[in-house]
Amino acid sequence: MITPVRTLVAWCPDWPVVATGVPLDEPSAVLLANRVIAASPEARVHGVVRGLRRRAAQARCPELSVHDRDEAKEARLFEPVVAVLDDITPRVEVARPGVCALVSQGPSRYFGGEEVVAGLVRERMVEVVAGRTDVRVGVADGPFAAELVARAADPIRLVPPGTTAEFLAPMNIGVLERPDLADVLCRLGIRTLGAFAQLPATDVLARFGREGQGAHRLASGLDERLPDARQPPVDWSVSAEIDPPADRIDRVAFVARSIADELHRRLGRDGVTCVRVGIRAETEHGEELIRFWRHEGMLSDAAVADRVRWQLDGWLNGSAVSRPSGGITRLALVPDELIAATGRQLGFWGGETEADQRAVRVAARLQGQLGTDAVLVPEFHGGRHCHEQLTLIPTATVELAGRSLDPGDKTAPWPGSLPAPSPTRLLPDPVVVEILDEGGVVIEVTGRGLLSSPPAQLIVKGHRKAVVGWSGPWPIDERWWDVETYRRQARLQLVTADGQALLVVLEAGVWRVTAQWD
Amino acid sequence: MATRYVRNLAVDTLDGPHQAARRAQLELVTDRVTPLTLAREQTLPVHDSLTSLFPDGALRRGTIVGVGGVGATSLALAVAAGPSASGSWTAFVGGTDIGLVAAGEHGVALERLLVVDPEPSVWSPTVAALIGAVDMIVISPKHRLRERDARRIGSRLRERGSVLVSIGSQWPVGADVQLDIAESQWCGIGVGHGVLQSRKVTIAGSGRGAAARLRSLDVLLPGPGGGPRTIATVD
Repeated sequence: MITPVRTLVAWCPDWPVVATGVPLDEPSAVLLANRVIAASPEARVHGVVRGLRRRAAQARCPELSVHDRDEAKEARLFEPVVAVLDDITPRVEVARPGVCALVSQGPSRYFGGEEVVAGLVRERMVEVVAGRTDVRVGVADGPFAAELVARAADPIRLVPPGTTAEFLAPMNIGVLERPDLADVLCRLGIRTLGAFAQLPATDVLARFGREGQGAHRLASGLDERLPDARQPPVDWSVSAEIDPPADRIDRVAFVARSIADELHRRLGRDGVTCVRVGIRAETEHGEELIRFWRHEGMLSDAAVADRVRWQLDGWLNGSAVSRPSGGITRLALVPDELIAATGRQLGFWGGETEADQRAVRVAARLQGQLGTDAVLVPEFHGGRHCHEQLTLIPTATVELAGRSLDPGDKTAPWPGSLPAPSPTRLLPDPVVVEILDEGGVVIEVTGRGLLSSPPAQLIVKGHRKAVVGWSGPWPIDERWWDVETYRRQARLQLVTADGQALLVVLEAGVWRVTAQWD
Repeated sequence: MATRYVRNLAVDTLDGPHQAARRAQLELVTDRVTPLTLAREQTLPVHDSLTSLFPDGALRRGTIVGVGGVGATSLALAVAAGPSASGSWTAFVGGTDIGLVAAGEHGVALERLLVVDPEPSVWSPTVAALIGAVDMIVISPKHRLRERDARRIGSRLRERGSVLVSIGSQWPVGADVQLDIAESQWCGIGVGHGVLQSRKVTIAGSGRGAAARLRSLDVLLPGPGGGPRTIATVD
């Protein structure tokens, strides 16, 4: 049995909160999609825990300051913290902002023991963190165990080689971060990693498949996957020249996106995927920067592109010490730890389908090309007018795959709205028109909501059209309590002799065509 | 990597003594694993009331459908509704003024709809990016399309299997299926009474290849409530 490589993990607690710039002794929480994902110690005292909704969190701690998650900022602020470890070992890898890992074997031989290295790592990092938060260091067999050790450390803890399984045994099954599996195991009476590790590996594989096998290996203190000793026969790394050299993030971000796509395509073609990727940048002055990022699951193209952007942001906008002296001339992605891509089971009923994935990919691609607000999706909004009932919002704000558009209470009766069929064209700039009666007199709507006389002609941009059918007017008096949004209108449906049906609205004495049944 | 292993394996076994027998066996396997739904996968469903307008009673993948006349937008939405309702994604390019409520009433699944409004300079690359990623692309170009771009889009469509619906102006190199609304008559609205309810339209179909045969269809578009409706069921 191959024991996992000795790994040192350094963990900065509450990093998402630290990144917001709020001192940890004030109650604050970081939210993603309306759920708390991190809270300051002061907030935790009041019972603000992960997974709480915003409203519930604020109820428990009224003085709580809430912040939206900004992963790019977290990564940017973490980069100088990681950078100080570069002269201890060149292979520092970032798991996520706030957690970094390094293989402890080499450095500990050089510096004279794991304790020394752990102390050195902590000392360096504490200097940069400068009291914003603590730094905990753990050493164990494999990155998974080492991170748990770091979380249990105060401030440094070493688990001797070969005893990782004993350390993990009393841990709750929830630390595996596989909620579905943990749920099933709990119901089977298996609540600790130790109990799970005692199950025969073959049975776990038979019942829970690959994912269960990986979890079982972790619980037993092994690597999640069997180490693959084969040398990658092909060089899968991709790179792009940047000319002229870029010193601003927005100029490199586009390249990041395209090489992430390229990497993904190349790996996909050969049926492999990577769990660790190296991001390498060369500058016009010949400097070479490299940083490794790891992901517990597999790195999708979007995930890689995000990490490249964060890393570049960290380099270009980080502290003066680590900032490169010139613009970036070349960007490369080096897939480092490759595993066979076993694919993902697609949903049978609902859920994410392949068509969804393709649409999500193209939406992301177009966002990269045209700007983040260029790709829009409809969302229920509520209102009387057809342009209000559904509005367009940027795709970046919603989860596209497996989306279900729920009107909720937004389509609750809106008295005064017109019945279906709704107009198929909404004119962005309503056209001012004149409506005349038989005698050529301009038509008005009386204070009682009646037409002064029946319409007979419509003049649009100088063209005269005969009215063959009409209905209305339907007056509407909206939001009279608010000066800004107050509206008083009368609406009329008109059919002209050329077969066009129009929605004409009178507001402030002017008739306008606002929509068309094309 | 997987494919490489299979290929190596195949070569190894074929070097053996019973080469011919093994080759026959392999061919048998190839026959068995060939997907049977190949022909059906080449088309997308259309709304029941519109089937007679299309050569196979369905939208052939990789084709361009041109729609024109008064009521073209409604017809385009009705054509897009068929695939959209059966799980395909739809994209409106340059159609930010298309009524979304109307699109929903026609049967377009709004949760699988993307709306993009690119500048004329990046219009063609945007459409090209969408081809293959979404099944239905509804365009209403506000600028003149160059013939070269149109040809390029056409060949990409045939390669990737999406369907493009072009509203209004004629497709520069001729659409595969051209549907024009020849006559239209609104129902439900009188002179001073009633409300717009449905529109009786006569759609004239033409096109290329199998779609070249001239055909015409009377249908309610929109029917009561929004989507297309055959006239017989209403009577």
